[in-house]
Amino acid sequence: MPGPHTGFTSVEDVQKKLESVDYIPSREIATVVFLAAATQKPILVEGPAGAGKTELARAISRCLNLRKIRLQCYEGLDEAKSLYEWEYAKQLLYTQMIKEKINQLIATADTIAEAVEKIAQQENAFFSERFLLARPLLQAITSDEQVVLLIDEIDKSDPEFEAFLLELLSDFQVSIPELGIWKAKHIPIVVLTSNNYRDISDALKRRCIHLYIDYPKKDLEKRIVKLKIPNIEERLADQLVNAIGNIRSLDLKKRPCISETIDWAKALMVLQINDLSPQALSDTLNVICKYQADTVMVRESMDKVLK
Amino acid sequence: MLNLILNFVNACRASDLRVSTAEVIDCARHLEMVDVLDEAQFRSALRANFAKSRREQTEFDRLYGLFFHDMRPDVELDADCDPENTDKADMRHTIGQMRQEAGDDEITQAIMDFLAGDPIPYLRQIHRLETQTEESSQALKSNLSQLSSRLEVMLRINRTRNRLLQLMPDPISGGAPGRNRGMAGLLMERLETANRMLTQETRPNNDALKQVNAYEKKTLGIGERPFSNLTETEIIKMRSVIDQLVRKMKDIMSRRYAVRNRGALDVKKTLRAAQRYQGVPIEIVFRQRPLRKTRVVTLCDVSGSVWSAARFMLNMIYSMQDCFSDVKSFAFVAGPTNITDIFEKHDVNQAIEKVITDADINFNTHTDYGEMLTQFHRDHLNLLTQKTTLIIVGDARTNYQNPCEHLLDDMRARCRRVIWLNPEPEQFWGTGDSEMNTYKAYCHEVRPCRNLNQLANFIEDIVF
Ligand SMILES: Nc1ncnc2c1ncn2[C@@H]1O[C@H](COP(=O)(O)OP(=O)(O)O)[C@@H](O)[C@H]1O
Ligand SMILES: [Mg+2]
Repeated sequence: MPGPHTGFTSVEDVQKKLESVDYIPSREIATVVFLAAATQKPILVEGPAGAGKTELARAISRCLNLRKIRLQCYEGLDEAKSLYEWEYAKQLLYTQMIKEKINQLIATADTIAEAVEKIAQQENAFFSERFLLARPLLQAITSDEQVVLLIDEIDKSDPEFEAFLLELLSDFQVSIPELGIWKAKHIPIVVLTSNNYRDISDALKRRCIHLYIDYPKKDLEKRIVKLKIPNIEERLADQLVNAIGNIRSLDLKKRPCISETIDWAKALMVLQINDLSPQALSDTLNVICKYQADTVMVRESMDKVLK
Repeated sequence: MLNLILNFVNACRASDLRVSTAEVIDCARHLEMVDVLDEAQFRSALRANFAKSRREQTEFDRLYGLFFHDMRPDVELDADCDPENTDKADMRHTIGQMRQEAGDDEITQAIMDFLAGDPIPYLRQIHRLETQTEESSQALKSNLSQLSSRLEVMLRINRTRNRLLQLMPDPISGGAPGRNRGMAGLLMERLETANRMLTQETRPNNDALKQVNAYEKKTLGIGERPFSNLTETEIIKMRSVIDQLVRKMKDIMSRRYAVRNRGALDVKKTLRAAQRYQGVPIEIVFRQRPLRKTRVVTLCDVSGSVWSAARFMLNMIYSMQDCFSDVKSFAFVAGPTNITDIFEKHDVNQAIEKVITDADINFNTHTDYGEMLTQFHRDHLNLLTQKTTLIIVGDARTNYQNPCEHLLDDMRARCRRVIWLNPEPEQFWGTGDSEMNTYKAYCHEVRPCRNLNQLANFIEDIVF
């Protein structure tokens, strides 16, 4: 197996490369990504919804020019849906289409046992890659190029799946009974994300290096806003980021995340508002608050929000 | 460098932040790749390897601050014996003298270690203090013993402070300029740090907690009346509304089962079906997937302070036994009593009646959540698995006894989810003897549940 050729040379390099593809990382994010890539360890990313977990994996793949393979987890996700499945329907169809051929094959057989034996000799044809439906994990392992494997929202999967994944992440090989053992040509850069619906097992945590992405600090969020909306005025950007920070500190049902900050900034730009007055905030509140109760709470705390 | 890290790891372990050898090796490897003089990088490398979840980060941050900032590990007292440095020699002498005076008093010795730059024995003392459970002398129970142990430590710190002031020149204004002052100041600082640690909040960061306050007001009137204020006729009316709710819940469960149970292809059946169409597999048959095994364990407070709500909660728990494949139900005032059998054998009203009259619950005692957790932890821990949702129903009013929250932490680590339903409105949580804010740090989800609408909302959430 080729050694780690990661494409990142230092923490600063990670920072620079991620920024070049429009992802602005904190120093901590850059450090963890660098270490994970350099030592081929999966990254387990936790954090509130919308803090940029999924986007981080996408940005890594963009800046290193690596294909991204995504596995979205859900309750009931199993090996067949995540690793591989035999395409039974296709196999059956093929047996029908080549029925003639099969009949020829067993025409000379005297006994049923002999016929079965003859068919068995052809078994390989049916359990070959042609009939194998590769799901994301197998795709990542068999890829000729290194890939970024994003295992999104692992906390939604079942504990059995987590155990299976742990095994896969330990040796990056799969054993398919009919075909043998396949070992990864390149260890993928693996990013697992979790919204903490449930706790991840200790064993899986030990395999990974951990990263918590919080809502960004003011200056970082401002840079993100200016990156996405280059012509926003300095003062408005400040007001906006400040207000969002204050809104997040309220006891809301759903706190606004980065994409809501961006949507809000866009809305203000379209409405040609360049000063965040109580009126302006009130008029555009539905962009940041998804629940009526939250809207009410923000309205009631207007002074605190615009402080 | 490696030694420094190993010492830090020992400090982590003394505070029960589990760090494996493999993680230490990973971290050492990582430190070679970053610029350790850039603290952001240094700290990130440590944190990414030693705190593997958001919850552990609180403890990590506390220890990191203590170890790399407060303790100032660069100023080693016990290290090289530099005869020139009389300052250090003096301090060593002072600590040595106090050690002798303390004899075999473990706590004071730990404080001395702390002053000399080794926080580990002191961290162990604090950890022991935090996870201490009451000696079960039923008569004299309170969380006093925890408080008094804390006081013990505090008294020793005070004694040490006084003794230090006697043995050393004034550490602030300093005796002879340049002499002693720096080191004496350091010792005093460390002593204050030790003192602060005693009173510091150590609850894990639980910002992933789902706290559900808002709910849909489906049924007006009766749906909004607190369980505790219902009249007899309303109670009867309420029962029938709950019945409807339960019927709907069962309905949803069975419908979901029908969609969900589509499994892998059943080759045998598909081939058999294909014979009807000259062997062409037109009809593809799938295996039935077994019903998802959701395990539920409920712990329901049935003491006087919540009884009016508990009746309805028991009602809900009763119907959950019908809807999920594996439900174990407990009721408690102090120790938990298994009521699963009663619920399985009797119809709902009879069952609830039996819980009050027949079940082996001691109603003549004070509610004691710590005792309930202690006994559950001792006797029933094996019921909790990675598939278990643990639902605790109660007001978390502990009568000022030890809440034993570390046991709930341990239980959480074994389950899929911990949900707490509190029949009190949120503004009362944490007031008086309510330990709700303590327990909250160990739950995945908390919600006030004091009327029918809130209960209905919860049931919908859990079946979907
Ligand atoms: N550091 C960042 N730099 C630039 N954009 C970001 C950053 N973090 C988050 N975003 C923006 O926020 C959006 C939401 O992030 P996402 O990764 O979907 O959140 P999560 O997966 O954590 O729920 C992204 O589409 C991206 O536009
Ligand atoms: Mg995401």
